[in-house]
Amino acid sequence: MPEAAEPLLSVRNLKKYFPIHRGVLSRVAAHVKAVDDISFDINSGETFGLVGESGCGKTTAGRTILRLIEPDAGTIRFDGIDLLGLGKQELRRKRRDMQIIFQDPYASLNPRMTIRTTVGEPFAIHSLAGGSEREQRVADLLKTVGLDPAVMNRYPHEFSGGQRQRIGIARALALKPKLIIADEPVSALDVSIQAQIINLLADLQQQFGLTYLFISHAIPVIEHIATRIGVMYLGKLVEVGTSAQICLAPRHPYTQALLSAVPIPDPGAKKQRIFLRGDVPTPIDPPSGCRFHTRCPIAVDRCKVEEPPLLEVEEGRDAACHLVEGRDNHREVQKAQKT
Amino acid sequence: MTDVLEVRNLKTYFFTEEGVVKAVDDVSFNVPKGKTLGLVGESGCGKSVTAMSIVRLVSPPGRVVGGEILLNGRDLQCMSEQEMRQVRGAQISMVFQEPMTALNPVLEVGFQIAEAVLAHEKVSKREAWSRAVEAMKAVSIPDAEKRAKEYPHSLSGGMRQRIMIAMALVCHPALVIADEPTTALDVTIQAQILELLDSLREQYHLSLILISHDLGVIAQVAETVAVMYAGKIVEIGLAMDVFHNPKHPYTEGLLRSVPRLGSSVHKKDRLEVIEGMVPDLLHLPDGCSFAPRCYKRTVECTLAPIPLEHVSEHHHERSECKRDAERKRDSAQPQEKSQPSRKVRCIHA
Repeated sequence: MPEAAEPLLSVRNLKKYFPIHRGVLSRVAAHVKAVDDISFDINSGETFGLVGESGCGKTTAGRTILRLIEPDAGTIRFDGIDLLGLGKQELRRKRRDMQIIFQDPYASLNPRMTIRTTVGEPFAIHSLAGGSEREQRVADLLKTVGLDPAVMNRYPHEFSGGQRQRIGIARALALKPKLIIADEPVSALDVSIQAQIINLLADLQQQFGLTYLFISHAIPVIEHIATRIGVMYLGKLVEVGTSAQICLAPRHPYTQALLSAVPIPDPGAKKQRIFLRGDVPTPIDPPSGCRFHTRCPIAVDRCKVEEPPLLEVEEGRDAACHLVEGRDNHREVQKAQKT
Repeated sequence: MTDVLEVRNLKTYFFTEEGVVKAVDDVSFNVPKGKTLGLVGESGCGKSVTAMSIVRLVSPPGRVVGGEILLNGRDLQCMSEQEMRQVRGAQISMVFQEPMTALNPVLEVGFQIAEAVLAHEKVSKREAWSRAVEAMKAVSIPDAEKRAKEYPHSLSGGMRQRIMIAMALVCHPALVIADEPTTALDVTIQAQILELLDSLREQYHLSLILISHDLGVIAQVAETVAVMYAGKIVEIGLAMDVFHNPKHPYTEGLLRSVPRLGSSVHKKDRLEVIEGMVPDLLHLPDGCSFAPRCYKRTVECTLAPIPLEHVSEHHHERSECKRDAERKRDSAQPQEKSQPSRKVRCIHA
């Protein structure tokens, strides 16, 4: 069982607050609490899906894990090493094992660099494989992602969105990483191309034993690709579970509303929609207590004052809601003892 | 049932330096009063150009080169620019994808809605303003009087889109064209906006053209669906029929390739895909544009352009030859008249 082994990535109490400067002296007036105390584990070989609406902090979470954005608090253990304790040099070396695929394949490729240079760049950065060996490695990578190695001398503008995303994936694979953080990798693509890229990512995972952190707002995509899913709302994880637990029987009222809002490509499908009132509140001054209480259809007075911690409610599933059944003291104690 | 809009053989071409791009090529459909037509397809298939052609806002090098666009029986193509201005916003209005770029950032939103009234009706400014507030209430904006004095930047994405819808409705148009109205919005807000559009359609007997790349959005709102590929409609019919029994291989492939909610019941490693990519509109293949990606492709598909033809609606008659199906359809014409007919651009359908 994967529980027995140490998870590949273990995130604890991660926080990232962005300061907002105001006035002539640009004093810090407030903070955007983009990621506010989240914890989760990703086991080796699995795909962990992070889902939520825009502004919920899922992208910031992904980037802080790579330390592309420095977190303010928390610990990140990757492959047995505390990432936040690493110096610049060591971090750079460790980054070979963790790569990122970005959403926008137009913006993430340098328009002045040929595909050869772009895909070969990771080798150059880490002074690996020079000359004809690098050439060969780049050709192999392009083949792996389904591109003809003959395209090596071309520039990004000569490719379609789907092909550019393949190039981005080839670059991420170059150093044989263990973990790939895929931040909305298919959101900018057309429907028929989306499926091709999702399949490619699944094939590569099998072939190279990759672990993915897959970030997306598209719930059906996440459900298809992820083994476990974490649902974020306003910088917090509100529910974590297997993709079947989250998508077939959501327990947190936010997850339930989110799922009910997903449009289904079937005109006959009549579903019970839970309409949420209003918009997502600002993460600068999030609501007190449970952050979802302002829009929650079942909120009670307790939700306004007391913040619900993320606790196990059944085997493999955690939820942060006072009203989800199964959160008896017994389990809380168990959980406390475990950690 | 009367048709508010009838588009016949619309052709909009872009005359670029590299050649002629047939962005919309022989597109025909009609929108009955109070009904919703969904126009679905991937980027570059011509769905937005179709919308812009209807309101005559195609800019050079693009030009409508053929076809008729009849609004309540009047051909919009024959109207003067002055007449056309009276149509836009008053009889046909549009809701765009990006509410932030569609709104003027330095004007109060209420004023921007009132402007539409002032442009089309002889009313006082005060009355136009109260009409604007009324329209904002109709799209369920809380505190409409106060919100009308706010600027676009202080409103959320969902609110801005509601403002756009209020602006589209304030002159009581017969037809609203919504071009990807929820694409920039979050899924919970998208659900609110789609529900709003649908209830407004019912309340005001509006006709609606909903353009989207999202099959789920189309399925939720549209009665009739037209699937576009490379400038042409490849399949059109009742949403129920098109989604449950797609007859064009492209529609079929598109429906199969989207991940569905609830897929974790029978977890599959791979999605079914349509191989290849959308063709370059400058170098379309002879015959069927979809042929290079199609699993049903035969030599006949690549010889000559494939016409959009009626097909039998009844599923068990699928194996019948086309002539039989047509005869049956002709004999059953009287009852079927009110039903939009099912047409497919494929010789294997």
